[in-house]
Amino acid sequence: MWCPDWPLGRPDAPSDETVLVIGAPERGASRVVAASPDAYGAGVSLGMARREAEGLCPGATVLDRDLGEETRRFDPIVELLSEIIPRVEVSEPGLVFIPVAGAIRYYGGEEAIVELLGGKLAAAGISHRLGLADGPFAAFWAARTAGETQIVTDTPAFLAQLDVATLGHDDLIATFRWLGVDTLGSLAGLPRDAIASRFGPIGLQAHRLAHGEDRMIDPREIPPEAAVESTFEDPVYSTDQLAFSAKQLAARLIADLRARGAAPYRITVIMEGTDGVVRERVWRSADPFTEAALADRVWWQLRAWTESDRGSQRGIVRLKLDPSDLSDDGRQLSFFVDETSRIEAERAIARIQTLVGPDAVLQAVPQGGRMPSEQVAWHRWGEEATVSRPVGAPWPGATPSPTPALVPPEPPRLEVEWDEGTPVRVRLRARWEPVLTWSGPWRMTGNWWKGEGSVDRYQIVTSAGAFLCTVDASGITHLAGVYD
Amino acid sequence: MVAEAIRGSMDRWDLSTRVQERTGDLLSVQPGRPVELSGPPGYGLTRLGFRMLTAESHIAPVVGVDVRGWMSPKAAWETGIVQERLVFVRCADPQLWPRVTAALVEGIRAVYAEVPVGVRDADLRRLAALARARQMRLVLRPLADQLPSGVAHLRLRAMGVAWEGPDRGHGRLETRKLVLEASGKGASGMVQRIEVEDAGEDAVRVVSGLAVGPSRRAVG
Repeated sequence: MWCPDWPLGRPDAPSDETVLVIGAPERGASRVVAASPDAYGAGVSLGMARREAEGLCPGATVLDRDLGEETRRFDPIVELLSEIIPRVEVSEPGLVFIPVAGAIRYYGGEEAIVELLGGKLAAAGISHRLGLADGPFAAFWAARTAGETQIVTDTPAFLAQLDVATLGHDDLIATFRWLGVDTLGSLAGLPRDAIASRFGPIGLQAHRLAHGEDRMIDPREIPPEAAVESTFEDPVYSTDQLAFSAKQLAARLIADLRARGAAPYRITVIMEGTDGVVRERVWRSADPFTEAALADRVWWQLRAWTESDRGSQRGIVRLKLDPSDLSDDGRQLSFFVDETSRIEAERAIARIQTLVGPDAVLQAVPQGGRMPSEQVAWHRWGEEATVSRPVGAPWPGATPSPTPALVPPEPPRLEVEWDEGTPVRVRLRARWEPVLTWSGPWRMTGNWWKGEGSVDRYQIVTSAGAFLCTVDASGITHLAGVYD
Repeated sequence: MVAEAIRGSMDRWDLSTRVQERTGDLLSVQPGRPVELSGPPGYGLTRLGFRMLTAESHIAPVVGVDVRGWMSPKAAWETGIVQERLVFVRCADPQLWPRVTAALVEGIRAVYAEVPVGVRDADLRRLAALARARQMRLVLRPLADQLPSGVAHLRLRAMGVAWEGPDRGHGRLETRKLVLEASGKGASGMVQRIEVEDAGEDAVRVVSGLAVGPSRRAVG
């Protein structure tokens, strides 16, 4: 269930003026999250950059989004929906996901549920859109594209006609468009292994969404001690204290789950007031919650409860956070791996790929060889490595460790002065450095059957460091590595 | 007599431990406190930079920004970096480099970045401020000169290097001893000299704190 322009309903928004509500800066840009109808008429759209929107509506009143206040206003609506179907999951104020699998049998069908929910919301005077589909992603876009309600019977077909912009990842979308992939249908038609190879885990996730294989809630056995709880001897009334408690508890929960190699997608916030009434609310996120994101949501929820008529005079005696759904990704991790950091890192690296190109973002795996440059196989980040020489095979005459930290891909010429087969001086930039000592030569015969000549390897030590170099049959020296 | 001898021995041990702890701190990069490694190639600073990413690579991906395209992954693995969590980004363009590194600072927990010639001081300062704000570990290796003041929390400057192992054709490179001069806020505002031993097969380790130089104006 999506309430478009929910942020506009705030009390300080003027009803007779053009209004733009701007979200917190994300990736360096503040964007429009809600706008009044005349702003839409002037060409403003959701997600538009603030500067562009202000250019279209120069006289508009611009308000910064206040998620705490929006949560406070939205909480009664969540309460209303919970009376019909329990376990409503709040994604953000104005957007909730409602699991209807069990309720369909109880109420006698999808149409009946949608009618019931729509009727309740209309009676409460809430402007809303309802979308019913398989999985949160499809349901969200069913609601976004609905006039008022939309029941999707064929989710893959519905997704196929959606634009790739629905994936919400700017860099990925730009690349898909450049490749001529404009709809989720055309993306779903591409082979999954090719997508995984080219775009890595982010591309794989996009391909799954395009196929309608949304992340399914897959409850994992959660030990009861995973939930964290604070009990207050003196009831907490002050908003500062509540904010502090929310932050502290969120930090504890995320740290505990991280130690178990898991990350939460869904959290139940449970609060007990001084009147003995226990209230709970489920929050969900498209990505695993970070500590900061979770602390924010807990804080908004506490504000909503304490500032509402039902909770204002009572205070809080107990606060509990219960991770009711952990990510599948968390299962694949080993102990102590930071899932949130991995996701953030993948996003950052995917962005770098668009800046410098895929050939400049690389990883390596070990492979066999005698020279340091042969002993690694490079591959693009997100793609499979191809190892041409087995690392486990014997490599007699391989250059001994330590490995030079700098290995030029194309060995440059190195000027070395020799005296009866022993190195005497090395030219480093403009000056000649005397050779203090050296080891070698170590002969490497090379692939003589392919016409390759043999080379001698030397480790040359100067007062400015040590170098690995090769001398070919004609006496020309090349720099093969710097022991930096 | 025996008690005095033991006390004397304990005092020497305690002093040695304190020196190890202090100098050991100088070879690690703290969150939000950028480190500068300056010195010509050949002194062992690339290995030292890799070594500073090692701990973080056990829990999250780490990145090396490679200006020349010369960084060796095998040398990085030898310092203990987890192979599958090491990513290299090649960027030699001084105009693009600040954007690339800033994007990495936004999402990566630990980065070792060579700084190409021609990057503006203002960009480096902005980058350091971003690293402080994001509480990430950033190690910068300028390829020419030094970073401007106010960028690095700790500056490690290579003063000299000596190798053990080769002997006029015999043997092979085994152990490197590197003398570093540490300065800046991370060195308590004093110039300190430390000696680092690097045997190649395992992590770089501090041998001793050599001397504490006279107090100078802090860098960073």
